[in-house]
Amino acid sequence: MVASAAALGVRPATHATQTAGPGMTVEDLRVRFDAREVLHGISAAFARGRITALIGPTGCGKTTLLRSLNRLHDGRPGARISGRVRLGEEDVYDARTNVRELRRRIGMLFQRPNPFPQSIRENVALAARIHGLWSRAEVPERTEKVLREVGLWDAVRDRLSSAPFALSGGQQQLLCLARALAVEPEVLLLDEPTSSLDPGSMSRIEELIAALRERMTVIIVTHNLQQAARVADEVCVLLDGSLVEQAPAAAFFRGPSDERSRAYVEGRIG
Amino acid sequence: MRLRLRQRSSTGLGADDDLSRTDRVVRALLLLTALIPVLALLFLAAEMVNSAVPALVYAGGDLFTQQLFTFGNLYATAETVSHGIHAPLGAAYGALPFIVGTLLSSAIALAIAVPISVGAVLALVERVPRRFQPALSVFLELLAGIPSVAYGFWGILYFGPALAQHLYPALSRLGVVLPFMRGPVGAGEGLLTAAVILAVMIIPIIAATTRELVRTVPVLAKEGAVALGMTPYETARTVTLPFIRNGILAASVLGWARALGETMAVLMISGDLLNALPANIYSPFSTIAATIVDLLDSALTDPTGMAVHALAAIGLILLAITLATNLAGRVIIRRVTTGVLPVGRGI
Ligand SMILES: Nc1ncnc2c1ncn2[C@@H]1O[C@H](COP(=O)(O)OP(=O)(O)OP(=O)(O)O)[C@@H](O)[C@H]1O
Ligand SMILES: [Mg+2]
Repeated sequence: MVASAAALGVRPATHATQTAGPGMTVEDLRVRFDAREVLHGISAAFARGRITALIGPTGCGKTTLLRSLNRLHDGRPGARISGRVRLGEEDVYDARTNVRELRRRIGMLFQRPNPFPQSIRENVALAARIHGLWSRAEVPERTEKVLREVGLWDAVRDRLSSAPFALSGGQQQLLCLARALAVEPEVLLLDEPTSSLDPGSMSRIEELIAALRERMTVIIVTHNLQQAARVADEVCVLLDGSLVEQAPAAAFFRGPSDERSRAYVEGRIG
Repeated sequence: MRLRLRQRSSTGLGADDDLSRTDRVVRALLLLTALIPVLALLFLAAEMVNSAVPALVYAGGDLFTQQLFTFGNLYATAETVSHGIHAPLGAAYGALPFIVGTLLSSAIALAIAVPISVGAVLALVERVPRRFQPALSVFLELLAGIPSVAYGFWGILYFGPALAQHLYPALSRLGVVLPFMRGPVGAGEGLLTAAVILAVMIIPIIAATTRELVRTVPVLAKEGAVALGMTPYETARTVTLPFIRNGILAASVLGWARALGETMAVLMISGDLLNALPANIYSPFSTIAATIVDLLDSALTDPTGMAVHALAAIGLILLAITLATNLAGRVIIRRVTTGVLPVGRGI
């Protein structure tokens, strides 16, 4: 049975605001690890100021696609990437691309929280300091601002100098989100950001993501179709390394047009 | 015990009395092997204390404060008596230069070896392709296996003179700010050369441990830094190093213990200065371990036996220093572990 849009709680897609920064596009993206091709020529557009959910069964290549966008495969020997990836008009894989700046502009949140083994304050401020966005004098004020934005300030204001590992998993993930937001990214990549969290933390993060749409392009990988329905404006379905459908979320959850994505949503695949 | 064994047989798992007896023998043997290191240490310590006592009483506090170390006139009929103990005429057992030499040479060696080991490992693990890494491991192990007498030879014939000629003159300019670095630089036998050789000897120990540690750092943690645009160097500083800090401390203590006890190479390169403290970092010096080897022959000719007691006394000091550094290392590690960062724990 295809879950109805209402049951899944789909909101009508809102339109991108002018300040939302560039979108991303991929054209005929192929990713090979050693001899094995994992993505077989993907073309998709991740529109600016919108939230795109990337769904599909386990092992279909969602993480691989996401990591192609911020060149995180660069450190993997044997990874071969062909096709085009663009941030706005810029070619992500161009030899002249400043990878450091690229990764500042494209933030990422991982499947499990991975705070630095540094103080909570430094978790937020380090990258912003390294990128020269914050002066030393600004650190306290801007750290507070970012932590307030993710709703973590009251929980950590008294222990900014201690390690983040005493925080709950959800709080750690919020800290990682604060860390990503501190460097003012234009795109945010989220790889199952709530899969290790309790429902409360999950909805907290979903709210934040929804609010971020105003400022940046968001791509979220999720196995949770309800979550996709709740937060996404667009849905991309990936099966076995190929993109089988990209559609507005409302239309998609009313009924996928592709037979294979229908099978996936109904639980007949994966 | 009986009861337990009966119960086990009654479970029908085939445990009969014969097997239980074997069990018991095995358990006793295991207990014995577990006790051997403890017993060995206790026996050694007791024996060292026992044979050191006469010299300890004779020298008293002078052992730690005086610089003159001499067995006295072994052929004179007259004797020197101190604190009721008789020793050859003029015998004095001041061990300060050896204590200072032991601590200084090993500390300088550590200061050289730790940054090099950690830096090299980080560079290798992050930069060198995985398939070349086994070869590097073999190389490290070979380095660890070179006998210290070979290091000594190399140090005294080539390395020391080369350093004294090319590096030390430049270093001595630092003497303006660090008086201990001031010249004269000598011919290459002395504290700094020995420390450099010691560093080469303990680098494999520290590097091998550090390499294992670096591999335990979760990839996810490092990728968090990479995804924020950090360079490999920034990633190492932000994530990798804090994660392995404790382990590096532990490895350093291991390396330090090795440097404290190293005998042969130091004996060959130290320049063997007795009865004085090193004047600068290039100066000849002596360590406890080297002195014991150096003086044992003549000590055995002391008819009163006091010379051997004196060597036992300084040996006891070395034992105490080694145990103390080990203990201190443990305390530091425990303190850091229970402090802010649960370093070494995965995320
Ligand atoms: N670094 C890598 N080296 C080799 N193969 C890889 C690598 N990363 C991913 N793969 C392979 O690529 C395929 C897609 O993996 P990917 O992690 O992108 O899947 P996914 O859709 O994110 O799955 P999941 O939902 O379980 O996270 C898998 O078959 C995986 O084994
Ligand atoms: Mg994945």
